[in-house]
Amino acid sequence: MTHDTDRRRSISDAARLAGLLEQVGEKRDAQAFRALFDHFAPRIRSFLMKRRVSAALADDLTQDVMLAIWRRASSFDAARASAATWIYTIARNAHIDHYRKAVRARKIDEHDPHFQPPDQPLPDDLYERAEAGQSVTGALSGLPDDQRLVLELAFTEGLSHSEIAERLDLPLGTVKSRVRLAMNKMRQGLGEWK
Amino acid sequence: MTQRGHVLDDSWYLDYAAGTLGTEAQDVMMASHVELSDEARGRVAALEMLGGAMLDASDSGEAPLGFRVEDILRRAGDEPDAAVTAAAPAPDADDSLCLPQALQDYLARTGTPVRWGFLGPGMRKAILWRGEHGERLWLLRARPGVAIPHHGHNGSELTLVLKGSFWDGDQEYRPGDVEEAHPGVEHDIRIGEGGECICLALTEGKLKFESPVLRAFQVFTGL
Repeated sequence: MTHDTDRRRSISDAARLAGLLEQVGEKRDAQAFRALFDHFAPRIRSFLMKRRVSAALADDLTQDVMLAIWRRASSFDAARASAATWIYTIARNAHIDHYRKAVRARKIDEHDPHFQPPDQPLPDDLYERAEAGQSVTGALSGLPDDQRLVLELAFTEGLSHSEIAERLDLPLGTVKSRVRLAMNKMRQGLGEWK
Repeated sequence: MTQRGHVLDDSWYLDYAAGTLGTEAQDVMMASHVELSDEARGRVAALEMLGGAMLDASDSGEAPLGFRVEDILRRAGDEPDAAVTAAAPAPDADDSLCLPQALQDYLARTGTPVRWGFLGPGMRKAILWRGEHGERLWLLRARPGVAIPHHGHNGSELTLVLKGSFWDGDQEYRPGDVEEAHPGVEHDIRIGEGGECICLALTEGKLKFESPVLRAFQVFTGL
């Protein structure tokens, strides 16, 4: 399988998913929603679990996210974001909202070991996962390993830049400059980003 | 408006886009900034694309889901849509303040009132949130031309312009622009002459004024 074939397949896949989301938004199409569910529900749950969310809570939050997708699909604009990006922001916000509510209610301690990563995937594993992504990961894969790792840890494990510095045992300034360099490169790679 | 200093270090946008900011006050500050600044919105949008790609690339997991698509469709029929019913205005909705939607939503959600108190000549403050480590999210409201005397910071401070403008030296900050002040950096702030200025500030640690009179004054103002 060549990189080009992969790329074409992932682009047509992205167009299919955006089309399904538009059908849900315009016609409340349950069939299209089922197809979106099959694609995204398992991914959202596994994404949340990598962010140190328990299996039971990940199931609950994933259901909330899928419900929000059904209800808010009409506000999806394929010209502004891919289906995956739009759904990512809903999943991220659902996770933050839950976490902030729990902190406000003093139900959890932010330093609770349950909120620490259970295992630390090897960098190679992270890179393989990134390789499977869509066109954006083309720009990502053009980055030097140390810069790419920082972005991977932020999104896949939900680590802040200071937690990344701790994890990699690097000074905060080093992580900040890697983020800056990576974003400059991505900006060039993606062409425009306004 | 892409001059250095008017947007933040990229690590702020990464933490915001990845959903890993440390506190709710940081969420509100960043969401307000992103809402008002095209440059910030562009940076975050690009990072969110990355988040979407990584969500899509995330393996679907081995364990079967604990629910089915029918459960979602049933809930859609049974439960009221909280997002629609919760769209209540903030307790102190005041259009003249030009508060961004993200901040209004936060005030409404947490029932936080905007209570203005005296800060100094021509200046008022309203504290919105206090963190466990002395952080404060607050609004500054100042009359045109007011000068905030030479001061430093014990912690870092983010100041986002919501309305009007201020100058720090020869740099002007306008709505959507953020200034990040680091500990040890001292500065003089002057409010622009164009009109009232309202800023949202997130402060860690107390301000350090050079003048002993102003330092004594801090006891009363709470900053």
